[in-house]
Amino acid sequence: MGNLFAVLSSAGQSIQAFEQAIDVTQNNVTNANSPGYAEQVPQLISQDYDSITGAQSGGVEEVTKDTRNAYADTAVQQQLSLQGMYQQLQTTLTPLETVFDVSSNSPIPSALNQLFQSFSEWSTQPSSTSYQAAVIDAAQQTASAFQQAAVQLGQIQTSVNNNIQSTVTQINQDAAAIQSYNVAMSQNSQPNAGLSAQLENTLENLSSLANIQVLQGNGGMVTVMLGGQTDLVEGTQVNAIQAVNNIASTNGNPGAAPTIGIEDSNGNDITSQITTGGLAGLLSVSNTLLPSLIGGGQQVGGLNTLAQSLADSVNAVLEQGSTTDTPPYQAGSALFTYNASTPAGIAGTLAVSSTITGSQLAAADAGPPFVANGAALTLAGLDSSTPGPVEGQGFTQYFASLTSSVGNAVNNANTQATAQSQLVAQAQSLQQQVSGVSLDEEAIRLVQLQTSYQAASKVVTVVDDTLQSLLAMIPT
Amino acid sequence: MENASQRDGAREYGDAGQYLQAARVNMRQVKRMLSQPSAETADESAALLRDIEVQLGCVAAILRQNGSKPDAGIRSGIEELQSEVAVLAAFFAGADQMLCGWLDTVRARRGGYTERGQAAPLTLVRKLSVEG
Repeated sequence: MGNLFAVLSSAGQSIQAFEQAIDVTQNNVTNANSPGYAEQVPQLISQDYDSITGAQSGGVEEVTKDTRNAYADTAVQQQLSLQGMYQQLQTTLTPLETVFDVSSNSPIPSALNQLFQSFSEWSTQPSSTSYQAAVIDAAQQTASAFQQAAVQLGQIQTSVNNNIQSTVTQINQDAAAIQSYNVAMSQNSQPNAGLSAQLENTLENLSSLANIQVLQGNGGMVTVMLGGQTDLVEGTQVNAIQAVNNIASTNGNPGAAPTIGIEDSNGNDITSQITTGGLAGLLSVSNTLLPSLIGGGQQVGGLNTLAQSLADSVNAVLEQGSTTDTPPYQAGSALFTYNASTPAGIAGTLAVSSTITGSQLAAADAGPPFVANGAALTLAGLDSSTPGPVEGQGFTQYFASLTSSVGNAVNNANTQATAQSQLVAQAQSLQQQVSGVSLDEEAIRLVQLQTSYQAASKVVTVVDDTLQSLLAMIPT
Repeated sequence: MENASQRDGAREYGDAGQYLQAARVNMRQVKRMLSQPSAETADESAALLRDIEVQLGCVAAILRQNGSKPDAGIRSGIEELQSEVAVLAAFFAGADQMLCGWLDTVRARRGGYTERGQAAPLTLVRKLSVEG
């Protein structure tokens, strides 16, 4: 009779195992479209036959195996991290194009054009009060265009810095969600597909914000490292990060905005570890690109360099010139003013001297030889002189080079963001394809794909060369 | 007034704009196909890219035949294609990097590491199954 009970017990266990297997399948169907869900495969394992008690004879035991491929998950996370960075760059850089617009309608090139046009007209009739007034008016327009650009760039800087703060908050929130998952896992003895899906979803969201590495620990708990070095989540502990103003970065550059640093929970600077993700994109704009334009950290900024150079060059010519046609020659007054004590704020403080009048504009070059409109002519030709007054370039040309650097950065971000969207789709599709296949099958598939891509990539290079040649054939 | 050889050229090669348009259509198809990662779609994409290469060759032949003259339409068409090619080049570079890393991991998991610490090369052995 003992054997009969053993057989019945074993049969009962088998039925239970098959029921569990059906539940797992049903769960897979229900969660087919759940974000981050990985298919669960029920594995039926034969149990050893106990010859003494007769128990477990030929029975089966159900063990649920998560088919998630660790590298596939990592690949998706890495691609999402790159996509996060390029999309953030795309979003953040686009408003810069309104300030650095190369078209003649945009404020700075338009104002510069008008200013040098007014110098040219004034040189034809130096004593004309209307031409003198036109010069002062054009100078005011120019100063106003620089001030406006400085305000716009300041607003962009503020917005980027606010975004950095909110991104850090999101990272800490995701870290807290992962810590909750770890707590739940430490209390569960069996893998939980729902929890696992939530974790995967949170990890993907976190990847789009920063570059993370995920290490699987005991009992299904995960350790999340930021930049491969800083523990963000370790078991049931969260080490929150924070964004701080790096005040020391502006030493010797008064008026400059401080760079933004990221610190770990111990106050160590981990900024250099953030290399991809939305946060990396924001940090690169805030700490590198914007300071190169409007100043920040140790940089004065291209816009300030341009404003100072314009003011100094114009003022020098006027102050060396003469307002009178006959001796004693009377030196002219400076047209522009700015706050020289804050080199990183010159564009924002550029203004026309409040006391200047048309008669104080020196049109004559006292020489020798004396030239009645010599100073006005020098001013009219200042933008096209060789070498130019701003780092060897003319003012318009220098502004165009700033515009070009912004344009290139925007263009590169657009190209990479588009390509990266496709790469994320690729990684996600491959993640689905390789779940559950053997390593051999996975390797064969990857090698085939790589070979085919390499072949296609070579044709892309040829097509690119052909396009270059075609463009060279068409005159502009 | 066009001469005889220009008319022959136009008959032989057609319109440069039409070839550019065909190349753009093919390029859109390539981008669609590459969203599905498989060796088949990658091979078909390569074939389409070769078609694009031929179509651009035709544009070059027509331009040579008709002589160089400014054409804003053709220029903007070429520049548009150039930016799409830049996206494709970035995509292939990224995909190659991703697949290399992935393969290294699979190789290491399959065959361990070499003495130099690199992932062991993959050796695919024919499998023989005996039944009965």
